[in-house]
Amino acid sequence: MTVATLPSQAAALDQVGSLQLPTKRDEAWRYAPHKSLANLTFGQASMPSAVPGDVDAQIPQLDGPRLVLVNGVVDDERSDLSSVPAGVSFVGLSDVPAANAALLDQTHGSADDAFSIINRAYGSGGALVQVDGQHADVLHIVDVLVPGAEQNASTSRVVIDVAAGSSVTVVETRIGSGEMFGGSNVRTEITLAENATVEHIILQDLPAAQFHIGRVDVTQAAGSTLNARLFNLGADYGRVAYHVHLTGEGAHADLSGLYFGFGTQTLDQQITVVHEAPNCTSRQSYRGVLDDSSTGIWNGGVDVRPGADGTDSEQSNDNLLLSKQADINTMPRLEILADEVSCQHGATVGQLDETALYYMRSRGIRKEEASKLLINGFADQVMDELDNEVVRAWITKRLGHDHE
Amino acid sequence: MLHVENLTASIGDKPILNGLSLDVGAGEVHAIMGPNGSGKSTFAHALAGRDGYEISGVATLDGADLLEMEPEDRAAAGIFMGFQYPVEIPGVNNMYFLRTAVNSVRRARGEDEISAREFLKVAQEAMELVEMKQDFLNRSVNAGFSGGEKKRNEILQMAMMQPKLAVLDETDSGLDIDALRVVASGVNSLRGPERSIIVITHYQRLLDYIKPDFVHVLVEGKIVESGDHTLALHLEEKGYADFLGDPDAELSGASA
Repeated sequence: MTVATLPSQAAALDQVGSLQLPTKRDEAWRYAPHKSLANLTFGQASMPSAVPGDVDAQIPQLDGPRLVLVNGVVDDERSDLSSVPAGVSFVGLSDVPAANAALLDQTHGSADDAFSIINRAYGSGGALVQVDGQHADVLHIVDVLVPGAEQNASTSRVVIDVAAGSSVTVVETRIGSGEMFGGSNVRTEITLAENATVEHIILQDLPAAQFHIGRVDVTQAAGSTLNARLFNLGADYGRVAYHVHLTGEGAHADLSGLYFGFGTQTLDQQITVVHEAPNCTSRQSYRGVLDDSSTGIWNGGVDVRPGADGTDSEQSNDNLLLSKQADINTMPRLEILADEVSCQHGATVGQLDETALYYMRSRGIRKEEASKLLINGFADQVMDELDNEVVRAWITKRLGHDHE
Repeated sequence: MLHVENLTASIGDKPILNGLSLDVGAGEVHAIMGPNGSGKSTFAHALAGRDGYEISGVATLDGADLLEMEPEDRAAAGIFMGFQYPVEIPGVNNMYFLRTAVNSVRRARGEDEISAREFLKVAQEAMELVEMKQDFLNRSVNAGFSGGEKKRNEILQMAMMQPKLAVLDETDSGLDIDALRVVASGVNSLRGPERSIIVITHYQRLLDYIKPDFVHVLVEGKIVESGDHTLALHLEEKGYADFLGDPDAELSGASA
């Protein structure tokens, strides 16, 4: 390793021995499987002796550079960084020159929950993306969890730093291997300079026996734009929390996503957008489909700080429950401490529209197929926000509704 | 073709159809008229197979028992219902919907699926019939459509499905005169010796455009009078008062 232990990492390492895991009383962790979370065993990143399963079959085959992390360690064999465009630096954290170490030491406000501290303590592995200039290329980061007998949980960091006026798209695909219990803890930190634009897509598809704990911290300067898309599909407990800080005037954050639960899955989205500067805009738009006895959580907050006048925010969360045992907990939160603010929010929970089903059946379409069409129609409205055809096709296939 | 005998339908304790009998021969166009609440729409839904009614009696299409079939099987058997309120289905592409519908019915009949090329050709013809632009197919089913567009979409679907029996439930409601003309000429061009049509309407106006062979008056869930198209003209002039058993209605009709 070229990077010495970071000051923030040293501090976190001091804390890991005496960590309090979240409990039911922590609002942001209320529906998490608290007992099982305690069974995750974290430690320093180490490559497993073998990676079972076919990684390529589980992920979208995007054109462009790809960095594969296995238990937080760069897998050179599966990575391909040959096509990294000029103006972009895309490297494993262990290859970050000491001069850039400060980038990795940022804390993005208070990330003081146990899993953030664990991530900083053990997150020596991961990826650093630095972007200068406008790039249509898609950078793909694949995080693979391979639970081991001694250590069943992995830790990775993704740090994305985008220079003024620059733009990039980053896709993070998070998967796991095998049927053993375990969990991946991935924290992404994105810094957008003035007028920078980032499209950030998370495809969470861990196996049903595993947990995913994701956290995305974003700091946006004036005039910058974040487009964050979450497809929270896999894992027994699949969680992604966004903490977005709009620190410069006129910044815009657009977050949307889809969670689609089966079996006993719990899919948890925790979103907080903090308006700290005037005339920023934000949108949160999430859709959930919950079947069997799955549970969905959408906890979306907007904090408008003093002085963030002229804030314009919208939140919506629409849910489709396909079974009587499925459950959704939707909580829009607003805290407004500024003037001339427009904040709208709405949440809906519904079942499949019986009238629409009947209408389709009267056109000869079988009941099961009509249901599928309705569900896909509901979910596709999130997909419409994706430009990348390969990502769209992967999601379509993953959801089992390949049209043609 | 269609044989309905002593059909009753109720929701809970509330009877809606009270022994309706009707025979529709191949190629015939029948109009069913009646005041609000007389059971017109319920009759259409009873034929199409909507859930939620207690149904008894007989309804057969070419001898096949409709009442035993699911809605999709009735469509495969040749029933098409044009909805008074076509349902909006956001996120479901109109073209994909139409193709799925056409192929579902073909599969159920043991026929081959329609090829993409053939489908586009047939869709093109159907769209010309109802004077629809190409982008119509790329939109979500009925989502954000105007009243006229929704009704034209119903006729477009009818043209694509090629039913034996089309039941058009208040297809004229909410249409301006131009849209009415388009919808009516679409229906007229789909008339043929092998296709029967039941037109359900509240007003005689539609029947100026779609000339029925028979007109029936439905009151309190029963056909109380049948005749040729002159019966519709009579209704237009006198209203339904002559056929309502309620003496109050006749009084208010007389004083108006």
